[in-house]
Amino acid sequence: MTRQPLDRPHMSAMKRRLLLSTPLVAAGLVVLPRLGRAEIDPARATTFIQSAGNELVTAINDPRLDLPTRRDRVAATLRRTIDIEGTGRFILGRYVRQASPAELAEYNRLFDDIIVRNLSARFGEYRGVRFTMGRSQQRTEEDVLVSTIVERPNTAAFSLDWRVSDVHGQPRVVDVIAEGTSLRLTTRSEYSAVIQRNGGRVASLLEAMRNQIAQLAAREGRG
Amino acid sequence: MFQTRSGLALATMLAAVLLAGGCATRPGEDDPEGLAEFRENNDGFEPTNRALFAAHEAADRNVLQPVAEAYRDVVPQGIRIAVRNILGNLRAPVILANDLLQGNVTRARETLGRFMVNSTIGVGGIIDAADFWGVRGHSEDFGQTLAVWGVGEGHYIFVPLLGPSNPRDLVGQGVDFVINPLSWFGQGILVDAAGWTQLGLTVVDTREALLEPIDQVRATSLDPYSTLRSAYRQRRGYEIRNEEDRGRIVGPSGVTGFGQGVTQPAAPPARSEP
Repeated sequence: MTRQPLDRPHMSAMKRRLLLSTPLVAAGLVVLPRLGRAEIDPARATTFIQSAGNELVTAINDPRLDLPTRRDRVAATLRRTIDIEGTGRFILGRYVRQASPAELAEYNRLFDDIIVRNLSARFGEYRGVRFTMGRSQQRTEEDVLVSTIVERPNTAAFSLDWRVSDVHGQPRVVDVIAEGTSLRLTTRSEYSAVIQRNGGRVASLLEAMRNQIAQLAAREGRG
Repeated sequence: MFQTRSGLALATMLAAVLLAGGCATRPGEDDPEGLAEFRENNDGFEPTNRALFAAHEAADRNVLQPVAEAYRDVVPQGIRIAVRNILGNLRAPVILANDLLQGNVTRARETLGRFMVNSTIGVGGIIDAADFWGVRGHSEDFGQTLAVWGVGEGHYIFVPLLGPSNPRDLVGQGVDFVINPLSWFGQGILVDAAGWTQLGLTVVDTREALLEPIDQVRATSLDPYSTLRSAYRQRRGYEIRNEEDRGRIVGPSGVTGFGQGVTQPAAPPARSEP
């Protein structure tokens, strides 16, 4: 059996101690983050999630709105909150290079449609939802993980974490993690499987995505 | 009660099926990204696992899911909550043992306290009284204990009727059964019946709790097999880490753990047709 990443926290803690004991490396660590992407302030990320969350909860719980209107409101907030293009690129991963410019453009369009439909359909059903802010911690130089606890009537509370990154000077959500399950990691695995099982063609993924959008639209029509 | 021998037979059969079904093609060294993904998926027996998944899906759609739906429709919510609480309480000794084996005294104390309160004030576990006082249940199993001890998970395996797993978690389930003191006592037809009833209720209760998540995966995933594989491995990692938020256990509110941990029922409405 292979050793899995579980052991890593201990290992990285040890390594960190080793590294920090070397003044040269420590000096290097101070310089390094500035070379990468803009760092995001945890307090700013938290405020961003809090206001986006409030917007979502207000839209979901507004008794004057019917389901389609709630979905539209939620979709609008999601578009302002999520870095859809960056997330889509992360999910497509190594196939970004294989795709033709036309395929990539279509992928971006389809992905935007799917993620907004999926998330707003899911959130739109969360009647009576409440959320509280959890702890916030800086994970890497690039992003901050902001935790929230989501509560719904008659349902056990669950933890929902938002990975917030700085995208062109603005805080944007780059991943949503429900009870430890990252949406972008799961979706990357899913999309990659579709491409691999269809002769490695990105076109087959696009076709599957088009079919899914048709199905989701039909479901929304019914609901 | 179920014999260990049948468990052993099942394991042997499973190993034979996996080996006979063939392995996934491992990308060569010239494709580092493909290789990295292959390692990340950890699914060396993917063709076999996919066949087992297809068999499971057929059985689920025809038997498990309709039974779980009927259970939700016919049995009043109050009784379903009681069933879930009782199943969770019966598992408390196993959770306690694993808390201790992981050296987590704080969580062990919580589990013990919950067991004592719920078995007495909670009338044999029917009511989760401890939860009212803010001591929330958590789940633990020997697969997680092995992980804490540094044992790797091994290749991913999809077991029909049981779901996503791996050798470490399968061994863990076997050990959990053996170390449960409730499985040591008595024999005869009544004890057997009690054991099978517990197993049956655990299956139905777990599937009922999973009605929405599975519907969601089927409706939104382009490849439910790989979605479940990825979600299972991430979720197990999360369960093993035992995350806390300022001393409060943040999760999992758990439905993957066979009846324990879920202290409240899933909301009955807002479920679209399968």
